[in-house]
This record gives sequence, structure tokens and C-alpha cells, in this order.
Amino acid sequence: MRIFLQFTIIVAICIAGEILHRIVGVPLPGNIIGFVLLLVLLCTKVLKLEQISAVSGFFLNHLAFFFLPPSIAIMTVGEDILSQWPLLLFLCIVFTIITIAVGGRCTQFLIGRQECRENKQEGGDK
Amino acid sequence: MNAIVNSPLFGIFLSLAAFEIGVSISKKWKHTLLNPLLIANVLIVGFLLVTGISYESYNVGGSYISVMLSPATVVLAVPLYKQIGKLARYWKPILAGIFAGSLTAMGCVIAVSKAIGLSETLMLSLLPKSITIPMGSVVSEQIGGIPSITIIAITVTGITGAVAAPAVCKFCRIKHKVAQGVAIGTASHALGTSKAMEMGEVQGAMSSLSIGVAGLFTAITAPIIISLL
Repeated sequence: MRIFLQFTIIVAICIAGEILHRIVGVPLPGNIIGFVLLLVLLCTKVLKLEQISAVSGFFLNHLAFFFLPPSIAIMTVGEDILSQWPLLLFLCIVFTIITIAVGGRCTQFLIGRQECRENKQEGGDK
Repeated sequence: MNAIVNSPLFGIFLSLAAFEIGVSISKKWKHTLLNPLLIANVLIVGFLLVTGISYESYNVGGSYISVMLSPATVVLAVPLYKQIGKLARYWKPILAGIFAGSLTAMGCVIAVSKAIGLSETLMLSLLPKSITIPMGSVVSEQIGGIPSITIIAITVTGITGAVAAPAVCKFCRIKHKVAQGVAIGTASHALGTSKAMEMGEVQGAMSSLSIGVAGLFTAITAPIIISLL
């Protein structure tokens, strides 16, 4: 477990993402480009999981901590927006339920249709 | 005293201490509503308001932690990579389901915001609320939202998913394990995924896979959708 090498790789990917965003002009945030880069490197086996697993494990296990400081910026948001919090809370809850329902029903419908088609093909082969 | 408060160590100390308390409380009572991030947020905001210390002073140290948001996003590729083999025979329904869910999440925000006259800034802040925080906060910033509102909306969304997912699946008769996982991960990212893992291995894997895909899809489509409005 070469922790400094692991960290160097991850930070290098972050910088590559920033370069692609700021200099090359890819219209996605730099860290999301970095996410795609790492996924490609892993899938193409250029990078093995073991080569970054200690650092990725550390971040994944303690992910929420890194969002704490940005979330404190809520203090600087105007009263006009903060006063609407009961409405926002309600909307977040309702939208989440709708999203689960639609996402789930769509997936289930498409799986059912695919299985139906596959069954027919199997039947035709016989 | 000012020199102490304006030192980076102050914000870092406050963040570490508050998060430790948040984690301890949520571990002790093990209730989904007791989210460590929300507890720590309330503690720090409360502390700063009571003592009259400014957000700027806190953020001298806080910004050191925020820098780590970028590597934290990049490593999200790891759980997606681990699950990607499980797409297998259902890859089309899974991807289509994630897209449908992501579009529904964004569609709801836009439709209701326009209908009840919510401010543009609020609408943009809520738009990426179904995806994982590191992705959602940068998407929010990119399209002109307020990242701190997005982070809190994302947390509330995740808690809702974790609490309500089994009931919603039952009520809507979503019975297929793959469909349950896709729905939960797409709608409520990692917080919902913790519940999906309790529901079963397939649900957990599918939910975990959906986090990264939904995040990427939302990051790509949100700016396009905004430009069409």
C-alpha cells in the first residue's frame, strides 16, 4: 500500500479533469470529468483497483465530512430564501417519492418487456 | 482572540469536533433522521451565531476541507466500477430507468418551481438534488444555484429515500429487485443506498451503480435543460 503514490494518482486525475474543463473546454465540472477518467482507467485496466484502493476507501468511508464546510455557507443565504424552508422541505420529500416511483416502474416495465421478448425468442427456437 | 478565530486551525477544529458529535449521536440512536452531516451543520451554524464569529472566519479553515471535495468525487468511480459487471443482461432497462428517474427528479423541480413561482436561484439550487453531494454541489454552482442549499436539499432527499423507499416500492408495486435498486439509487444517492443494501444484495448493488450513472447523466443534461427553458 503506497499511500503517497495512491494519493498522487488521485490528485493527478483531479488536475487532469480541471485541465480538460478549464483549458480544453469540456462543458462538465472538472471533478466529474475526473470521475469519468478514473472509471475509464479502471475499466481499461490501465489502473488496477489495488493501486488506489486505500485512498479511495478512505474518502468513500468518510465522504460526508468533506461536505460539511460547504454546507455551512447556508448562513450566508438571504432571509428571503431561508424563510421558505418548510415549502422546500415538503417539495424535497414529495419529489423524492415521485422519483422512486417513476424510476422503479419504468425499470420494471422495461425488464418485463425484455423478458417477454426473450421468452418468445426461446419459444421460436424450439 | 481574533488571531485564533481567523487561523485555519479554528475552522478545521470546529468541523472535526462537530462531525464527531454528529457521528456519535447517529451511532447511538441509529435513526435515519439523525444524519451526522445535518447534526454537525446545525451545531456549527448554532455555534457561530451564538458567538458572533463570522462564516468567513470559519471558512478560513473550512476551505481546506472543501478542497478535498474534488478527490472525493473522483473516487466515486470505484463503487461504480465494482458494480458495472452486474449490468449484464438488464443493461438497457437499468440505464433507461436511471435516465427516466433523473429526468423525473429534474422535471418535478422545474414544473413545480414554474407553477408556484419559486425564484430562479432556488429552482437551480434544487435541480441536482437527487444526485450525490460532490457532484450535485458542483452542478449547482455551474448552473447558477447556491451549493449550500443544494447540499442540504440533497441530504433531505437522501434521508427521505432511506425512510420511504420500502413503502413506496410496496405501494407502487415495484417488486423486481433490480428495479427497486435502480429507483432508490437514482432518487436518493448513497443515503438511500444504505437502505437498499438492507433490502437485499441485488438492490444494494443496483442502487450503488445508479448513484454514479444518475450523477453523470444529471451533470450532462442539467445545463442543457436550463438552456432550453
